Amino acid sequence: MIRVESLTKVFRRPHTFSGPLGPLRTLLTRRYDERTAVDGVSFEISAGEIVGYLGPNGAGKSTTVKMLTGILTPTSGLIEVDGRVPWRDREANARAVGVVFGQRSQLWWDLPLIDSLRLVGDLYDVPAARFAGSLRRMCDLLGLDDFLQTPVRQLSLGQRMRGDLAAAMLYDPPILYLDEPTVGLDVMAKQAVREFIAETNRLGRTTVVLTTHDLADVEALCERIILIDKGRVLYDGGIDDLVTAYAPPRRLVVELADDETRTFEIAAGRPIPELIAQVAAEHPIRDLSIREPDLEGVITRIYAESER
Amino acid sequence: MAEVVRALRLYWRLQRAAMRGALQYRLNLVIGIAAGVAYQGSGFAFVWVVMHTFPAVGGWSLREIAFLYGMRLTAHALYVLPFSSLIGLDWLVREGELDRVLLRPLNPLVQIMAKRLGVGQLGDLLAGLVLLVVALPPLGPASILFCLAAVVGGALVEAAVSLALASLALRTWNTLGVRAFADDLFSKFGSYPMSVFGGAAQWALTFVLPVAFVAYVPASVLLDRTGELNVPAPVAYGSPLLGVALFALAYRIWSRQLRHYQSTGT
Ligand SMILES: Nc1ncnc2c1ncn2[C@@H]1O[C@H](COP(=O)(O)OP(=O)(O)O)[C@@H](O)[C@H]1O
Ligand SMILES: [Mg+2]
Repeated sequence: MIRVESLTKVFRRPHTFSGPLGPLRTLLTRRYDERTAVDGVSFEISAGEIVGYLGPNGAGKSTTVKMLTGILTPTSGLIEVDGRVPWRDREANARAVGVVFGQRSQLWWDLPLIDSLRLVGDLYDVPAARFAGSLRRMCDLLGLDDFLQTPVRQLSLGQRMRGDLAAAMLYDPPILYLDEPTVGLDVMAKQAVREFIAETNRLGRTTVVLTTHDLADVEALCERIILIDKGRVLYDGGIDDLVTAYAPPRRLVVELADDETRTFEIAAGRPIPELIAQVAAEHPIRDLSIREPDLEGVITRIYAESER
Repeated sequence: MAEVVRALRLYWRLQRAAMRGALQYRLNLVIGIAAGVAYQGSGFAFVWVVMHTFPAVGGWSLREIAFLYGMRLTAHALYVLPFSSLIGLDWLVREGELDRVLLRPLNPLVQIMAKRLGVGQLGDLLAGLVLLVVALPPLGPASILFCLAAVVGGALVEAAVSLALASLALRTWNTLGVRAFADDLFSKFGSYPMSVFGGAAQWALTFVLPVAFVAYVPASVLLDRTGELNVPAPVAYGSPLLGVALFALAYRIWSRQLRHYQSTGT
């Protein structure tokens, strides 16, 4: 469904000089600042998958999504979405994908939500009867009825995000790109977004690429993650495999009598009772627990290793 | 063809939505229209003063100059009316607003044009048409057709220059200044018989920035004054086509530059 090979994006901007003659120098020197946002990324995604595209701020997630949607032209490399090259065949590609950017709404700011949804229906040539059905379904899934008539600029962030999700799925695209859809949302709204994504994928076999730096999103929705940092893929595969492959040591967490908490790594092969005995001999223990490696620990470790 | 019909239909839907949005800020709208009317009034006063101060510029009679002025004003209004949102292109690019446009299955230029209608130009359009009709020389049907084509062609010449320059905004260049300058040249020099400017200036206003082709050249054809032009008569007769050709060229430049759009970082 989606095939990406050695995808690279280098942003090139005229260098800006400071000082009173800065603008003039910018114009005359033709010096450029370059920044490689995506650096040789390859992956393939099959129909019906939900893939978490995970990475810290500035990793290149949004840039990748913008190339997948055809907004940006790659500097080099290849993208094929459903057999099309997005930047070359932008309009055909647009019909096949729904896109939500958490940071920037696609809705008409000054108009009631329903107007935005109608306009989206028009833009994607959704016939009236199908539009009515789609709208009904979106309202039910996302609980839009209460604020359909409210101007978008008056919606809460959570309501706006639900409106954006409806706008992205109204024309039943087979692919959905979500760029940080839960950023800034409260727990309830996050939950609603996740449920909608899961439901959409389950009912319509929609292929979902979900960009996030929130691990909870990924744990709730994805079986597979692509981990990127500084524009490069660090890991691509199942979440379970990731935890086993990179399994950091389990940890012994002890609470001491003076309310202090200490953690000790349990070295592979070392019997736990022995470690406990040793710790107990040195410190007065009040309580203890063994912590299994979690996704966050694994990922922190991968990032740390890639720094070296 | 079906594509064009679809684009027109969607243009109109989006335009209506934009107007409904603008109506939310009624005060802005009222001030905008009032400013437009006031500006137009001052424009009229200017023409009146010019026509009474120099009753015959470059051997042209007052009536002929009024006709020329009417052609250029009508052409200008016809360009600004649909293209007024190009003015905000620098901002659209810098704010990453163009992302939204590029996500939709509709020609990006049509979507940008649909963001706003230059209703402030309705005054210009009316004024231009009144001048045209009042000062119209006795013309046969063929000449009337030529006149209509020439006004549209003139609008396309201005639109072409504006679009080509605006395309540079897609490279995050600051184009507002240079576009305002070009607009200024069009409005300052477009409505006079260019022979009054003399050789070099006339040459530049014909071949470097095609100001002369907006109104002066076609008006000379209609007023039977092609003898004084610095282009051969057949070229003058073809001037409405020049607008079409220039606009096609500008559109190509625009489409090319669209591939260099860099979006924004956040
Ligand atoms: N339009 C742009 N122009 C210049 N640099 C950009 C642009 N967009 C992103 N960048 C830079 O590219 C890198 C990756 O950005 P981005 O893809 O937005 O990361 P993420 O979405 O993972 O936070 C960052 O260093 C960012 O500053
Ligand atoms: Mg981002």
